[in-house]
Amino acid sequence: MNPPLPRVDALAKVTGQVRYGADWVPPGLAHAALTPAAIGKGRVVSVETAEAEAVPGVLLVLTRLAEGELTAPTFLMVGGDAFESVQPLLDDKIAHRGQPIALVVAETPYAAAEAAALVRATYEEEPVSVTLDDPGVEVRDQADVLGPYEDRVVGDADAAYAASARRVDAVFDLPTQHPVPMELTSSVVYWDDGGVTVHEGTQNASAIRRGLAGQLGLPQERVRVVAPYVGGGFGNRNSLQMQTGLAAVAARRLGRPVKLVVPRELMFHNSGFRPASRHRIRLGAGPDGRITALLHDVDQQTSRYDVFPASYTDTSARVYAVPAFRAHQRIVFTDSQTPGYMRAPYEHPAVFALESAMDELASATGLDPVELRLLNDTETDPLTGLPFSSRHLAECLRRGADRFGWARRTPQPGSMRADDGSLVGWGVASAAYKASAAPALTRLRLDPDGGLTVWAGAHEMGQGIRTAIVETVVGLTGMPAGLVTVEAGDTVGVPHQLTAGSWGTATVLPGVYGALEELRKRLGAPPTGPLPRVAAPAEVEVGSLAPGQPPEALDRVIAGGMAPAGPVYPDFTAYSFAAHFVEVRVEPTTRRVRVARTVSVVDCGRVASPVTAASQVRGGVVWGIGAALREHAEPDPRFGGFANADLEGYTVPVNADIPDIDLEFIDEPDPSLNALGVKGLGEVSMVGVAAAVANAVHHATGYRARRLPIRIEDLL
Amino acid sequence: MARVRAFEYTTAASAAEAVLAVTPGTRFLAGGTNLYDLMKLGVEAPEAVVDVTRVPELARTDTSGPDELVFGSGARMADVAEDPVLLRDYPALAQSLALAASQQLRTMATVGGNLLQRTRCAYFRSTAHPCDKREPGTGCPVRGGLDRGFAVLGLGETCVAVYPGDWAVALLAFDAVIDVLGPSGTRTVPLGDLHRLPGSTPHLEHTLAQDELITAIRVPTTRAGRASTYLKIRDRESYAFALTSAAAALAFDGDAVTEARIAVGGVATKPWRSREAEALLVGGPLTQETARAAGEAIFAEAVPGRHNGFKIELGVRTVADALFHAARTGESR
Repeated sequence: MNPPLPRVDALAKVTGQVRYGADWVPPGLAHAALTPAAIGKGRVVSVETAEAEAVPGVLLVLTRLAEGELTAPTFLMVGGDAFESVQPLLDDKIAHRGQPIALVVAETPYAAAEAAALVRATYEEEPVSVTLDDPGVEVRDQADVLGPYEDRVVGDADAAYAASARRVDAVFDLPTQHPVPMELTSSVVYWDDGGVTVHEGTQNASAIRRGLAGQLGLPQERVRVVAPYVGGGFGNRNSLQMQTGLAAVAARRLGRPVKLVVPRELMFHNSGFRPASRHRIRLGAGPDGRITALLHDVDQQTSRYDVFPASYTDTSARVYAVPAFRAHQRIVFTDSQTPGYMRAPYEHPAVFALESAMDELASATGLDPVELRLLNDTETDPLTGLPFSSRHLAECLRRGADRFGWARRTPQPGSMRADDGSLVGWGVASAAYKASAAPALTRLRLDPDGGLTVWAGAHEMGQGIRTAIVETVVGLTGMPAGLVTVEAGDTVGVPHQLTAGSWGTATVLPGVYGALEELRKRLGAPPTGPLPRVAAPAEVEVGSLAPGQPPEALDRVIAGGMAPAGPVYPDFTAYSFAAHFVEVRVEPTTRRVRVARTVSVVDCGRVASPVTAASQVRGGVVWGIGAALREHAEPDPRFGGFANADLEGYTVPVNADIPDIDLEFIDEPDPSLNALGVKGLGEVSMVGVAAAVANAVHHATGYRARRLPIRIEDLL
Repeated sequence: MARVRAFEYTTAASAAEAVLAVTPGTRFLAGGTNLYDLMKLGVEAPEAVVDVTRVPELARTDTSGPDELVFGSGARMADVAEDPVLLRDYPALAQSLALAASQQLRTMATVGGNLLQRTRCAYFRSTAHPCDKREPGTGCPVRGGLDRGFAVLGLGETCVAVYPGDWAVALLAFDAVIDVLGPSGTRTVPLGDLHRLPGSTPHLEHTLAQDELITAIRVPTTRAGRASTYLKIRDRESYAFALTSAAAALAFDGDAVTEARIAVGGVATKPWRSREAEALLVGGPLTQETARAAGEAIFAEAVPGRHNGFKIELGVRTVADALFHAARTGESR
């Protein structure tokens, strides 16, 4: 057993040696800036660029691209590569606030920014509808707009609910949120004889490669995307965005490298975000607390032109033993950019609603909230009847309750006080997140000096995939960590799949495992123990698949697409689980809420890298606290867009908001999913935290949060 | 990327030199944490700035005198927040600085410049939106709209933007005055006369002429400083402006309040003090009832908007809590 490996790139990061996308400064670099439309929706009538062009150092002002210079990309969810199907500067339409009407390129970023501010336009403005309730939105059943989608039904949930002895019926509103990664969206693009090279922080180098190739009319082989490190992903960078193609066109026209950084305010308006969603939960139970029925109705926002699907109810159905289930999901078309996958995109809202309702059910049945959850545990997936590959939710709840001291909780709201007179609330919530996995092509090269290089189709966005790879190699070979080099985030290496959906570890590590097996075979080495010395470099390239996947799935990844599998596999359903416990303190007069401590116990299969895994859980808990008490991107019904589109107005938590975060892993391998027994972690660590906070707030104050975030005015 | 128009930059070696360097379109530059920010947003576009951070006389701070505390306008917020006399004898003043912005910003920003910090209204800060304060006559979209963070006291005909600072609120409670240097000499302005109500001219935020420079802030000493506090309620526990705040200071004779000072922030278009509220407290003991009555007196004329009505009840409770914090602070000394 080796001691836990520190994060392998920690020193490089804190000493500034790691280069992110915008850190690349090729010779002759020109700088680009965007001019956003001044309206929320409508069309551009005329654009005046003379003032902008007169700024010293300005090289190019683009307001409308030439025919065929760049085509609109295809939306990710209909087989394409882009977060939305709108590409600015192709026509006169303005679909949403913040959409650029001009790109200015200059010798310096200052000249570019100054000139961009001097581009003037006249518009025909149209009214906007930006919230679920604004007049002018269109509401449609998801089943009518997304074939072959059908809402999930198990048994006769309506009848079972009507016949239930205990019933909870509640509606929960979850707000629009933005992931605000620290690294701004940016592209550094240059052309040479080989084609075009893009340096850009991304979770999906293949999508940028394939999507940009399509936009430019190039074969994929002539596009290289380099993203060895990403300054935070959280789903925000899971696909092609609008600035990459614009920078590529400018670089081509000028014959110079071009850098385009999207400012924070424009990131709020030109990239994916967590859409607003409304959840009606009807939860029925017997007098003993056993669940008899669950109905989950969802309304979720999308843009006018792309359907970002609603997939909430697959998770809410699987947290407990639910004998009868019915889902109904609707899509609400609004005048925003197309929403996207922000960390735990469906699971955080769905589980917030479910776990809030469970707390109400605990009150209705008189059961302790932990007991109620243990009572309704299941070994079988309610939707398919398949067994879970592994499920340690009950153990998470038990261990968490022990660590937290849950037994000392008095059930009555407002019954616990701290020494300083503040109200104390203790809350709990369960968490579940699908355990997906994808095909991978992994290459290894063993050199005569003993060094091993691993090419993996993954993206390091701070989650620690490089550390997990090195730690896995060290564990399987006993070689020193310093001899392992990881090459990732460059399309010149191996094909890259989207790193998202918590499938990175369960995709990449089995690939590394399989490649090491193949290397040993090739070298005639025993299946375990140190790797032999080689006289000449030995290289293998090995494909791996998720359980039950046909080999063609790997071909899809090689072709630049996606092929994630799960959570339903031929013989089982696979999920990661967690239990979160939260203590809040509420000031009795001003009602200021502070999270005093948290305990999380997580079942993510075997823990591949304890150091980075713990960091992931801490991040997830911070995100959950932010979702419960802080974060709300405020849609502006009058002007469109978001009114608080910066880090002052969009209040992510600061250190002073975050308490000690205690955590523990079950660390039991899931051998069904892969040989290493790893499941996903990044998202389940956030799921349920907001519900645990809200349940704690109820325990302290008696206030039931039906919308997030909980604000001080809700508690006065 | 910031869009900053080219501008002229000069430094001044003395306050007099700085004042004489002013031409139309010139702004004084101190910490730059607000002015540069607004220049990058295109909200401010001075033709020239005169940097006064190298003027030695503006950095002079003296809190040792028997009659008054003197803060040079160029003293850094972070330094004044750690002044031992303030920490011991005027915790409300020290806290109002320590709870503002972030340590990085406090290290840059000056106590003089901070007094004239401009509002955080998102429409004021966005040149893509109408704003009567930024561009008079364009209107104000706040009332009836997204007004959660806006003022309930001192409302203008259109503008309801909050004065965002903390330090000026605490100073107001202590009867601070400012020394101002202009081309024709020095004058002294009570802090309460520095900021204007928006009325029909929200673009006019203070009473200083363009070529007048704040050189010092002076605070008369009072024993009520020892029993004082600055309580700030906000959407997160650091790096956020106040939803409501209260500076409170008390002096007692036995159980009876002999002196009370209360000013509130986050709720008004300028730093806000209520002598009526203070008078309610003097002469009797501090009780839950009198503390709350004082808070209610401050907010008696408050006008709620669509989403900010909670600030009235929260403000009342903030004042009441601050009074008890202040009293406890005094007891522990």
